[in-house]
Amino acid sequence: MPFEVVYTPESLLRHPIQLFKQMGRDLLASRELAWRLMVRDISAQYRQSFLGILWAFLPPIVMAAGFSLANDAGAIAIGATDLPYPAYVMFSTALWQTFTEALNGPVQAVTTAKPMLAKVNFPREAIILAKLGEVFFNFAIKLILIVGLFIWFRVAVSWTVILAPVALIHLILFGTFIGVLLAPLGMLYQDVSKALTMVTGFWLFLTPVVFPVPSAGTFGLLVRLNPVTPLLVTTRELATTGVISDPAGFWIASIITIVGLLLTWVAFRLAMPFVIERVSS
Amino acid sequence: MVLVDQEILSQPDETEVVISVENVSKKFCRDLRRSLLYGVRDIATELSGGKRKETLRTKEFWALKDINFELRRGQALGLVGANGAGKSTLLRIISGLIKPDIGTVKIKGRVAPLIALGAGFNPLLTGRENIYANMSILGLSTQEIEARFQEVIDFAEIWDAIDAPVQNYSSGMAARLGFACAIHTEPEILLIDEVLAVGDIKFKAKCYRKLHQLRQQGTSFVLVNHNPQAILSVCDSAIYLVKGKLIAAGATETVIEKYEEDLFLDSKKATSQIMHLPEKSASESFGLDITHLLFKDTKGEIIKSLRSGESVNFCVGCKAHQKCDNVTLHLKITELGGEGGTGSVLFFNSEHDGGFFEVLPGKHEIHLQMPYLGLAPGTYTMSIKLKQDIYTFDVFESFRFTVGSDGKMSQCKFYQPRAWQLASPVEFIDRNNSR
Repeated sequence: MPFEVVYTPESLLRHPIQLFKQMGRDLLASRELAWRLMVRDISAQYRQSFLGILWAFLPPIVMAAGFSLANDAGAIAIGATDLPYPAYVMFSTALWQTFTEALNGPVQAVTTAKPMLAKVNFPREAIILAKLGEVFFNFAIKLILIVGLFIWFRVAVSWTVILAPVALIHLILFGTFIGVLLAPLGMLYQDVSKALTMVTGFWLFLTPVVFPVPSAGTFGLLVRLNPVTPLLVTTRELATTGVISDPAGFWIASIITIVGLLLTWVAFRLAMPFVIERVSS
Repeated sequence: MVLVDQEILSQPDETEVVISVENVSKKFCRDLRRSLLYGVRDIATELSGGKRKETLRTKEFWALKDINFELRRGQALGLVGANGAGKSTLLRIISGLIKPDIGTVKIKGRVAPLIALGAGFNPLLTGRENIYANMSILGLSTQEIEARFQEVIDFAEIWDAIDAPVQNYSSGMAARLGFACAIHTEPEILLIDEVLAVGDIKFKAKCYRKLHQLRQQGTSFVLVNHNPQAILSVCDSAIYLVKGKLIAAGATETVIEKYEEDLFLDSKKATSQIMHLPEKSASESFGLDITHLLFKDTKGEIIKSLRSGESVNFCVGCKAHQKCDNVTLHLKITELGGEGGTGSVLFFNSEHDGGFFEVLPGKHEIHLQMPYLGLAPGTYTMSIKLKQDIYTFDVFESFRFTVGSDGKMSQCKFYQPRAWQLASPVEFIDRNNSR
């Protein structure tokens, strides 16, 4: 039933309890809407596409083919990997792609929803959640590829594969955290999405996706400092070998993710009205 | 110079206040780059819990300044003003989309904006899927949407096309669907921003009827419209904004009077039955200008009060700057309190009656001679157009007049000229059996 809402120029940070209550309320209210938007976006995505869900498979396969060819020809020198190299590349690429989808998700969602955001007041968490749902859906399709892959290359799977989804969720949440951080700015300035594309391209090479985890040197240091590395590597290891090489790194990255996500959620809520007033309706 | 006329409405205080706007001001920036930069700075201040300055930064202006009003449950508020007066900004602040820079807004109840129809529509999806998406964004749960689903389709009249992608709809169909969705969300407060113009007359009438129904159910309205007639027929009170400032607030009649005064600059209105218009120079004129509007009786004397059934002549005074042929006069009379844009009571087109006038340069008066005024007592507004085929010389949109009551017309919708007679029985003369 109708409750009272008060709008003042004051920053809501001054009333933290009110802020948290509102956040909780909006999160609950946005469940159904998020589901509707997700269904809407997934249906629309594949409606005008001929290859449809094949697009979830193709990039990892193409990437693996390219790198395997280059490796075999000796054009690039890649060390030994735990799994057969093509399987390694395909699996890691699928994980990396999921991460980039989660990273680009919030900025894309907010930009596409601009007409809605500028005209109707609705719980904005819904668009982020809808995009998150899409990422999980796309991963589910990639899973078919991965399972097929494991069977084809006869990759041994240990019992820890049950825990792999947990690590995967942390990976996705990390991408979402950075995405939500950039989303309000991304609506104001187009630089953000362009920079993001550029940075992800470079970021790929600082993550052990097409090469095994390096041990020494400045490069090795950079790779180890990259927060995506432990998340991605742990997911891969949980699914295959069962031995986690860097548990400390994993937990640090996870804590950064969870704390960061909560903080950016608050920042997102506070920043959106200001973005909306500067954007055309 | 800012005039603030505020009439305090004597309303029963039992109904609760659903919208309370106190001292609200909002500033915007004209320059895009600077605006985005200010946006970033505002976000930073907000995140650090600081307080934003209340003065204008470079290139900023006040889109709204010191707005105060209240809306109670079941009431309708009209929002009038020229383009750029700040009406849409005020609506956006009320819906919570943007924060005020100064002041407080208190809202009780769910607000549904009829500001943009079809928010959340994805053109690739079918109408059916889009109804779910749109009504979800407007705040309904799946259960509620399913309960109203059939009503929405029936209201929008798109039974056949409901499973076709929205990109194949005509703009009218898409607008009708958007309107149907929005109007069936049954909110406590409805904000209508000039979107009542979609569809044909039958659809418009349907929309007004539905709005009326919602009004009976206790929905409060805020209506933004440039048509004074729509505001007069729907709203209890109104506010008039000029460049962000509140110029008049209070009873609709008074506020609209002020609005129209400003629209027509310094037109003098002695009583509401007579209208004199400022003279237009030859360069402003389109050839023939309306100079005054009034009622005269058959003897040629100006009538100040009208009664049903009387013999009146409606006189349109005009001044011709050049010779005009085939001039026709169009008059549309609407009753106030009727159904807004579709409640036309009488429509005269002199073409239908063979009235084509050849007007020589100079001052003239065109008379509409009505042997019996058929209008029932009430307040009416008339729109007057002087045309030549489809070329319009001059228009006057709302000439207001009242037909007084004499007690005999209380149960009549219109005046019927009549005479009474007693007919005595006629004797049949039977020629065959005559005596």
